[in-house]
Amino acid sequence: MNRGLHRYTLLLAGATFFLIIAGALVTSHDAGLATSDWPLSNGQFFPKMVGNLFWEHGHRLVATTVGLLTIGLVLFLLIKEKRAWVRRLGLVALLGVIAQGLLGGLTVKLNLPLVVSAAHATLAQIFFCTTVSLAVFTSRSWTESRPTLEEQGSLAVRYVCLAAAVTIFLQLIIGATLRHSATWDKPLPTDLLLIHIGGAIAVTLLLATAAFMILRRHASETFLTRPAQLALSLLVAQLFLGIAAYMTRVASPNDPQPLNPMVGITVAHVACGALVFATTIVLTLRTFKVLRPSGLHQLSGRIAELTTT
Amino acid sequence: MFMKQTKVLLVLTLALSLLALASACGPKTEAPGPGDNTSSTAKKFAAKGNEGTITGVVSFTGTPPAPKKIATDADPACGQKNPNLATEDTVVKDGKLANALVYVKEGTLADGSKIGDWGFDTPTTEAELDQDGCHYKPHVSAVMVNQKIKIVNSDPTQHNIHFTPKNNPDWNQSQPNGAAPLSHSFARSEILVPVKCNQHPWMKAYVGVLKHPFFAVSGEDGTFTIKGVPPGTYTVVAWHEGGATGTEKPMQVTVAANGSAKADFAFGEAATASGNPSLQMMPALEFPMMGQH
Repeated sequence: MNRGLHRYTLLLAGATFFLIIAGALVTSHDAGLATSDWPLSNGQFFPKMVGNLFWEHGHRLVATTVGLLTIGLVLFLLIKEKRAWVRRLGLVALLGVIAQGLLGGLTVKLNLPLVVSAAHATLAQIFFCTTVSLAVFTSRSWTESRPTLEEQGSLAVRYVCLAAAVTIFLQLIIGATLRHSATWDKPLPTDLLLIHIGGAIAVTLLLATAAFMILRRHASETFLTRPAQLALSLLVAQLFLGIAAYMTRVASPNDPQPLNPMVGITVAHVACGALVFATTIVLTLRTFKVLRPSGLHQLSGRIAELTTT
Repeated sequence: MFMKQTKVLLVLTLALSLLALASACGPKTEAPGPGDNTSSTAKKFAAKGNEGTITGVVSFTGTPPAPKKIATDADPACGQKNPNLATEDTVVKDGKLANALVYVKEGTLADGSKIGDWGFDTPTTEAELDQDGCHYKPHVSAVMVNQKIKIVNSDPTQHNIHFTPKNNPDWNQSQPNGAAPLSHSFARSEILVPVKCNQHPWMKAYVGVLKHPFFAVSGEDGTFTIKGVPPGTYTVVAWHEGGATGTEKPMQVTVAANGSAKADFAFGEAATASGNPSLQMMPALEFPMMGQH
């Protein structure tokens, strides 16, 4: 384990989180088309950043920084990282950030089609979780030897965590689509809104189940309980932010321009959603690292094998 | 496994690169819409000299919503040039409503032909849309299909002009201060095309695109005049912004040869259309105007 490399991955993950906030500010201000150019803004690398161009060009500058940091990460991994699969994951991150930049350019050149904008927002979350995963894999808590624990009970915690992570990812796609379906001065589409609310219920049920299972079954294992507690806390905050975002967003079409608290709350909702996803990914990775199928699970797996053959 | 993912992402990256290049370099064409009478096959309308006019007043009943002050902190140039910048969605003076588009929606000429069957020459004069004081002048306007709109930036700051039509291609163009005027036109008729500036999100305007020249926008005193209308019976509509899609008020109007028909409209609380006794009232109807993207 290289401490410098781990700190660098934390820096990249932090920068990516800031980039997600910058991107959410662009959407909440309806600033995505403040310039019709890409990659330059009004033909310049450093345009006068007034009006909504501040948000759009600021987002591009932060994105450029994250891109450069990712190139640095790949080089860092090539030099310092012995595990080939971690080096490859770094390469995946680099390709992801390139694809993300191109998607950003594409959505500007095509005047923000819903599919491309939603894909851009979704890939942002995937890239963020890749950087968080790299931070996990390069951490001491991951690389040091750790005793494995047996799954308890009939329902495996690992798979509940995995189900929660997948459901959160789907919820993020729905949320991204909802946000890009209507600008601040238009009402949100009711069908998508209802699907997003349904997704929030599903995420709450799955993540709360996973967290409570860990807190009850593995209370002394801080390697698992810390991310579980954090995920649960963030989930509660996210639910309140979701309600607040809806209330302010319903009122925003009556405003003369995008205003706070709508801008601040909707951006916080996006940012908190990214943190819930990232924390759940960390939790899921850790459960798969330390939890092993119990004798009961092995037996039931064997029975399943026998019944299918 | 990661090698496979890497390959998939590499292919995705290449595909996106090609798409980005194609979108940046590809020609942008606009096809005329179905039913638009701009083709050479439509019967060409020729004035016979017995055309009349439709005149009227657009009123607002009740208390109009107060204009909302706009914060220009994000671009001080706007506040310096236009310190009293406020919303313009309902401009009422002495009970008269400005910025209502009044147009002939459909109808039958005295010879029995439909107005929609005729083709009309596109004016060679350009309509003008100015960005002055970080708001659009005019706020509501109308042009004919394929008529050019000259877009001017009179401000000491940069703008982007973004038409967000439903029946025509979306169009967004940056226009720095001091830049030459831009030009744009629409190949298909549309009531109405919203215009916005993504740099200054309070900036909004509407442009109606019609197949014929029988339209007018109410002035500050609420009055309007539509000239050169051939004798016949028409559905005349007054449109005003508000809510998500705007509001339409239709009315039946008969124009006699060399005559002048009157059509008064009213918006606001418990508003109804009113006019001379020959006018037949029709129920107001909502219609989808703005697409969401």
